[in-house]
Amino acid sequence: MIVPLIKGLQITFSHLFKKAVTLQYPEEKPVVAPRFRGLHTLKVSHNSAKCVACYLCPTVCPAKCITVEAGEDANHEKFAAVYEIDMLRCIFCGFCVEACPVDALGMTQEFELANYKRTDFVFSKERLLEKR
Amino acid sequence: MVNLTIDDKQVTVAKDATIFDAAKAAGIRIPILCHDKKLHPFGGCRMCLVEVEQMKGRLIPACTTPVTEGMIVRTTTDEIMTARKLVLELLLLKHPLDCPVCDAAGDCDLQNLTYEYKVNANKFTDEKFRWDIDYENPLIERDQNRCIHCGKCSRICDEIVAFGAYSFVNRGIEAKISTPFDEKLDCEYCGSCISVCPVGALIAKPFKFKARWWALNKVKSVCSYCGTGCQLTLGVKDNKVLTTVYDEDQGFHNGQLCSRGRFGYQFINSDKRLTTPLIKKNGTLVPASWEEAIDLVVSRLSEAKKSDPSSVAALVTPRLTNEELYLFRKLFKDVIGTDSIDHSAGYAHKALTEGLKESFGITASPSLIEDIQKTDLLLVLKSDAYETHPVIGFEINLAVKRQGVDLRILSDKSGKLTRLPDAKKYIHKPGSEILLVNAIAKSILDQNLADPAAQSLPGFDALKSALAAVSIEQISAAAGVPVEAITRLATDYAKAGKALILLPIGLGYPGHGSELTSALANLAILTGKLNKEGCGILILGEKNNSQGAADLAIHPTAGGRDAGAILEGCTSGAVKVLYIAGENPVVSYPDKAKSVKALESGAFVVVQDLFLTETAQMADVVLPVKSFAEKCGTFTSVGRNVQQIRKAISAVGQSRSDREITAELISKLSGAACGGSSAEIFTEIAASTPGYSSLSTDSLGDNGVIYPVVITPKLVPVVGVVPETEEGKFALLIGSSLYHCGTMSRYGEGPMLVCGESYLELGRTDAGKLGVSEGDTIKLKSAAGELNLKVKVGTRMPEGVVFVPYHFETSAINSVTAGNPVTWVTLSR
Repeated sequence: MIVPLIKGLQITFSHLFKKAVTLQYPEEKPVVAPRFRGLHTLKVSHNSAKCVACYLCPTVCPAKCITVEAGEDANHEKFAAVYEIDMLRCIFCGFCVEACPVDALGMTQEFELANYKRTDFVFSKERLLEKR
Repeated sequence: MVNLTIDDKQVTVAKDATIFDAAKAAGIRIPILCHDKKLHPFGGCRMCLVEVEQMKGRLIPACTTPVTEGMIVRTTTDEIMTARKLVLELLLLKHPLDCPVCDAAGDCDLQNLTYEYKVNANKFTDEKFRWDIDYENPLIERDQNRCIHCGKCSRICDEIVAFGAYSFVNRGIEAKISTPFDEKLDCEYCGSCISVCPVGALIAKPFKFKARWWALNKVKSVCSYCGTGCQLTLGVKDNKVLTTVYDEDQGFHNGQLCSRGRFGYQFINSDKRLTTPLIKKNGTLVPASWEEAIDLVVSRLSEAKKSDPSSVAALVTPRLTNEELYLFRKLFKDVIGTDSIDHSAGYAHKALTEGLKESFGITASPSLIEDIQKTDLLLVLKSDAYETHPVIGFEINLAVKRQGVDLRILSDKSGKLTRLPDAKKYIHKPGSEILLVNAIAKSILDQNLADPAAQSLPGFDALKSALAAVSIEQISAAAGVPVEAITRLATDYAKAGKALILLPIGLGYPGHGSELTSALANLAILTGKLNKEGCGILILGEKNNSQGAADLAIHPTAGGRDAGAILEGCTSGAVKVLYIAGENPVVSYPDKAKSVKALESGAFVVVQDLFLTETAQMADVVLPVKSFAEKCGTFTSVGRNVQQIRKAISAVGQSRSDREITAELISKLSGAACGGSSAEIFTEIAASTPGYSSLSTDSLGDNGVIYPVVITPKLVPVVGVVPETEEGKFALLIGSSLYHCGTMSRYGEGPMLVCGESYLELGRTDAGKLGVSEGDTIKLKSAAGELNLKVKVGTRMPEGVVFVPYHFETSAINSVTAGNPVTWVTLSR
């Protein structure tokens, strides 16, 4: 009767002398794997977004969280006039990145996406653009 | 019939079929890029290569090879697959792989075949083309770099549209599709080339970058512009109609559309749509709730009903569905008890409701659209038939070019139709149509060419004695058509095995009324050209449901006021409440002053419309309604075809359909519930309307049903009046522009980009005499008023005759016309 209890407490006490597994978040930050699927980013090339508004990402998105509206610029080129991802709906599957034919979309290690208002979770094109 | 074997499957097809047709009939798909079922075989792309047992040693193109008895065809051997893959590799060598930004992606034949044949590498390398892209055209964007030289655009423009805007130029690697002299594209803007382009070389500019093809919800419906009744597929996304989608299997026209049908859909989601009811308070229209607006309308209607039902009048547009027209008739004729209900200015429906009624005892054409291609001789009244009914115009093109139909055009001006191969035109002085038709009838009788059976028909003796007084020589002089031409036309018409008469009607044809219809019906009856395939007379109604409005008797039938009298009644105070549904008398009815005076007279005016039109601006209550894309119902088109429209999007703003509004008014005014779906109302229509008895919404299906008619021919003598002429003045004709239909197309972006304002068209000689050239402003003056218009110089107009379209509100032509077929005007710089 008493033996199993002592065995259990042995394990408990042994942990007092081991290295802690918990992370003191937010003081300490975890090291995120290089292929972690965090916040999306719209890649930039020649000072403009690489996205050509082909609509393949909203087409493939299983959560239907991407909104794209194409526009025509002064050179008659297609560009994303509106590009929005609703992070509340996003399931971070990465299909959008996989579907992108021009490698305009990526996913960062950024995972701290908490916010105060629902509207703040809708990431507009400006917020998604790659920071350099 | 020919028997052959395709992929071990026995097939029996007609002897003029190709291997491609035979395979299609057997349900075997052969890939192809350069073929459309409407076009002649071309054999340009080499994708349809097949193997024929009897022609071993080489691969045979299926689309150009006719079938022969006992042929054994294989469509998918290894050799064929390799050959097709090579064809694709060669096409992709020059084709830019810009699928992500190409609007054709998803609907691109080349893309689909590349995927199907797994062409993921290319054994060849070369530079891509660097042709300039045509961004200037308002509706059609041409990117020659994507072109795969299938030639479909140039062939459809030539074979069906008969315009010939494109052709191949240069040779070898330099070859490309070009416009004449490589100048900017200036055509009819029907967009047929876009519809058949297998890649994205031709794209619809209004739809450019709007949505991807696969994201569109495709809803089959019927066009709501002219009376032809073309079926169209609306491309819908996020509750917005974004484009029209081509479907080669739709309707008698095989998906072929005209400029306004293809590019004029933007009115549906226009920013100018009314979204709330409006009530006039202190002289301005202010938004109100539906309850308030309906209560006001009900109180005014019931007040007027109690005091004098005949003080209520209604003008209803033939653009509404049959169900809505039926309810309108019920509301005004049965519930309120007034017979003053009319449409199309009171004159544009008379060919059907009076002319045919008298001559044939029915209010619908005895002939069908398919008769156009089955006839031997086609007599068209006015070359404008092409402008008002372009898709019927395509049928005429096909009849002339493919079936060898003898085309005769009796018109006051030249036009597209008169330029068709071997078309014979009889250009007469404006307003002398009835005289000429009488002269033809007289000539038929004189030459003893009348059908013996016609002599026993009622009215024969009356017609004979009436025509005895007619002198062909005098008419010839008055109309400006040689005697020989008249007699020759009479002989040819009477002797033709099959002959069909086309008569377009509408607000733009003030002279095409009951008399002209009866005169033409006389020709058909006299010569026995009735009740046979390819014979008879086909009336082309102007609006999408002109035929339905005639069938449902949306006109005074018991001595009520017609449209003109209703407006006069408003002015005199006899009409206290005027209910206008969709009509725009201020712009489209003749004599603008009369309409304006009537609306300002103090009568209580209710307008139901999609937009705050010029008429709606003068109303006391304006009710927003749904467009054809937001409701269900049926339209009856030219040739009595009853077709269904389907709801594509939900209501814009708070708009309600005319059916819902009218049903509510009926319920509130009569106390008895009136409601029910479109299908239930259609059952009521079927029970009460002659000809519709065999129809139900289930039986209509995708292609609609042509309701049967039985005619009782009667010869009706008609007296033609020699048109008055005024020396030194120009004969002004009004009509339709090719890009517009009524006043609704002004709210469509496409038609306005091509033809955005009114103009005055005149011939070169007259332009020279007046010293004006294209684009100048000219002053037009008639007894009623004067106008400044932009000049358009063309080859259509004979000397002394000018033309102005009636659709526009600025420099509105109805401020100088009064509804006569011809208005005499002076022109000055």
